[in-house]
Amino acid sequence: MSRMPLPADRLVQPRLVGYDPTHPRPWLERIAYTLFFSALWVMVILAYGAVPALFRHYGWLSTTAGFLIYAAVEAVLAFLLAAVVALILIVVLRKYLGKVQERVGPMHYGPAGVFQTVFDALKLLGKEDFAPKRVDWLIFRLAPAIVFVSAFLLMVALPVAGGWVMADLNVGLLYIVAVSTLGAYGVVLGGLSQGNKWGLLGGFRAGAQLVSYEVPLALALLSVGVYSGSLRLSDVVEHQYGLWHVVPLFLSFLVYLVASIAELKATPFDLPEAESELVAGYNTEYSGMSFAFFFLAEFVELFLLPGFMVVLFFGGWHGPLFGLEPGSFAAGVLQSLYFLVKVAVWVWIFLWIRATLPRFRDDQLMDLAWKGLLPLALVGLLVAAFLRMFLEVL
Amino acid sequence: MRGPTTVEPVPGRTDELIINMGPQHPATHGVLKVVIGVEGERITRAVPHIGFLHRNHEKIEEARTYPQIITYTDRMDYVSGLQNELPFILAVEDLLGVEVPPRAKLIRTIFFELFRIASHLVWLGTGMLDLGAITPFLYTFRDREMILEITEKTAGARMLPNYFTFGGVRRDVHPDFFKDVAHFLDFFETRLPDYYALVLDSPVFQARAVGVGVLSRERAIARGASGPVIRASGVAYDVRKAEPYDAYPELEFEVPTRPEGDVFARFWVRFKEMEESVKIIRQALEKTPKTGPYKGKVPPRVKPKPGARYRAVEISRGHLGTYVVSDGSERPLRVKHRSPSFANLQLIPDLFVGARFADAIAILSSLDPVFGEVDR
Amino acid sequence: MSLFAEVWEAVKAVGAGLGAVNKRISEPAVTEFYPYKKPEIPPVSVQFLALIQNEDGTDRCVACLQCERVCPSQVITIERKRNPEGKGFVLERFDLDFANCMHCANCVEACPVSAIVTVGAFEHAVYDINLLKADKAMLDHIGHEAKTWYSPKFGVEIRTPDGRIEKAPPEMQPGGLAELLAEGEGGEAS
Repeated sequence: MSRMPLPADRLVQPRLVGYDPTHPRPWLERIAYTLFFSALWVMVILAYGAVPALFRHYGWLSTTAGFLIYAAVEAVLAFLLAAVVALILIVVLRKYLGKVQERVGPMHYGPAGVFQTVFDALKLLGKEDFAPKRVDWLIFRLAPAIVFVSAFLLMVALPVAGGWVMADLNVGLLYIVAVSTLGAYGVVLGGLSQGNKWGLLGGFRAGAQLVSYEVPLALALLSVGVYSGSLRLSDVVEHQYGLWHVVPLFLSFLVYLVASIAELKATPFDLPEAESELVAGYNTEYSGMSFAFFFLAEFVELFLLPGFMVVLFFGGWHGPLFGLEPGSFAAGVLQSLYFLVKVAVWVWIFLWIRATLPRFRDDQLMDLAWKGLLPLALVGLLVAAFLRMFLEVL
Repeated sequence: MRGPTTVEPVPGRTDELIINMGPQHPATHGVLKVVIGVEGERITRAVPHIGFLHRNHEKIEEARTYPQIITYTDRMDYVSGLQNELPFILAVEDLLGVEVPPRAKLIRTIFFELFRIASHLVWLGTGMLDLGAITPFLYTFRDREMILEITEKTAGARMLPNYFTFGGVRRDVHPDFFKDVAHFLDFFETRLPDYYALVLDSPVFQARAVGVGVLSRERAIARGASGPVIRASGVAYDVRKAEPYDAYPELEFEVPTRPEGDVFARFWVRFKEMEESVKIIRQALEKTPKTGPYKGKVPPRVKPKPGARYRAVEISRGHLGTYVVSDGSERPLRVKHRSPSFANLQLIPDLFVGARFADAIAILSSLDPVFGEVDR
Repeated sequence: MSLFAEVWEAVKAVGAGLGAVNKRISEPAVTEFYPYKKPEIPPVSVQFLALIQNEDGTDRCVACLQCERVCPSQVITIERKRNPEGKGFVLERFDLDFANCMHCANCVEACPVSAIVTVGAFEHAVYDINLLKADKAMLDHIGHEAKTWYSPKFGVEIRTPDGRIEKAPPEMQPGGLAELLAEGEGGEAS
């Protein structure tokens, strides 16, 4: 036997990657989060306020070409906003879970790990988008697009400040219901098309869950519409001057809260992708960017569903204006900040619930939807109708 | 009685889906494979397959000398490693006629109960992970880490310490040991209310666990279940009371039982067992002298007189027994382990069939099998 | 009414769970930053095994084959020859296959002269499993590199900066030895 090399040269030295996490810099982390939030704010201002105002100011919207350019620019901005939201929320989720679980969360990429999501996205981009032999190819490829587009389309109707909305639909509430149901198709089809039994079960569960929870969700939205007398979201927000809807429509608010967590497929309602039961559920066979679209859509919805909750029940953009004239650009900037802060609080509560509760079982989920939330939503609708009648008599 | 060995699709029946759950599945606690037939979410048939981790323990042990075997017994139930050494050691001590000093018995008991807490913490964390809650997992593993560090300081290894030996323990405890253990117990008692809040008292958990996977008293006895599984079915069988060993006769503790036999009862029993373990360790810490003999007199070459001996202990998962046949040489003629997870796992067809798919995961985590010990 | 009471109890219980999670947010993380900050493990910890040589460079090992005999996975291979100048044996070959080692430290327990010891070093990952087959040169090297090591017979020993081997002070000693050194009693009952 020949003489061996000595330990120092033969040992595998552990690789040190990214930033050294032994010197945590909380101030840097705080600055990074402030920058993140500001970036989100700036994106919201650009997408919802500045660009439409610019086009309106120069009267470009009256021509067909101008309108098409406007639509294209808005689409790009909305996509960027979705990307920014997902990038921020993913790292916030992971950092928050780390904090409450007595660990540190991502630490290596960027100061205190704040750029972790960027690297994750790059990794997913670089991965092979693999499709097994037995998939139904067209539907398999279409499903992530449906899921993402439905989340993306919801952004159009979100009023972030007075007059700041991409499309001020007069059927805004119905639009929300319609488009968010569209997302269920993507999840179900994605689960069923992949030729995998876990995916099949996940698709079944997703279908049952998402369709069931659309009903109380729609009734909760309807009660808001009945109470405020309009399906237009900006009217709903205007109607809340003086009293936020959460007080008179508390039952509807509770229904919306539970149903929106179920729509998000987050714990305790994460049955479609229950990782300890169904391996990964409806996205078992997805990889690379197809998976990333499911993931992205989930986090865009994590921003949008609390966003609509704030719009419907917590007075949307309401807040002290300090003498600014409502409707002006400066007021819009301030109002969008109020809106974002309210959304941030609700996102935090959603994450908090996600960190605490275990998962429901499928039949309990159905029980809760049909025996618990549906009657509650109907009562909420009645309450809304009575209050409306009462107000009109007055 | 032999059950079916596999699940074949029934010709012409289209509403049943046959799924291979495992051996690579996130909730099978290692390498269990269960072939299940489901109708929608309801399980119609279930056949467990084991043996993926078989390492020929008992045959290897026939070819090893007695002190060498202790190292192997550690590797059976690796989650509560230290506890597995004891039945073999007790059996050989009986054959040798070795007197164990009382201090050594107390030290063994302290470690035994520490590992019971450690094992139940692993079960609690992974069990809640199966039920969809990620946070308890990280809390419990942090607490377990303290036990492992205490063990490392004294015994030299964390999970598989090879610390007990014939006539006592290998070396005296670290000078900080008593202080560390007392500190851990105080810390652990501050953490227990949180586990109650996150697990036992949580309404979502109760909805998942109450009335699920009910195991009747008769069925539990018939299948040879032991440990928390049988105690949750209303049978107060605990080897620590039935055939006391080491320092247990002098310590006061209760055997928590519950009559329901469902998943909640099994969780509840393990929670109460952790509390009882804390009590036992506190008593043992008070009784243990700081210094003194830690090992009885054992001949340098362990050669038990010819004969056979069966000794059992109550490890975290139940009744672990070891049967040793000696022919008077340095190596045993035969070593047989009776492992609790193996018996508990036989309940799978009973409990799975008729349950929902999500229930099956909860039932499996409430049985708490460890496959190093099932397959040996 | 009982329905409302039940719902209220459930809400309170969920609130307790949320509180239990949220109060951890201010507690410091327990994460260990392993490759950046290496943990200090006690020399008792069975990680690397090493052969210790005396200060004058001769082997402590007397080639008694005790460790080879007690090893449960039979990873130690010793060849010895009669000592030409005196009695006893000298080592010709001492191989230890870390790839098959179970880290039980039975060899350390068995060694009558504390030649094979546990050291505090722990990073022994390699890309080629054959590199884990240690010969005497490598075991000696690990022994020379070690600052502290442990054997049941002599307790924790330290290598001083000028190369001498000394018994570590009592506060560094693990169980039993502090008392054993101080009072000369305790230990094994006889």
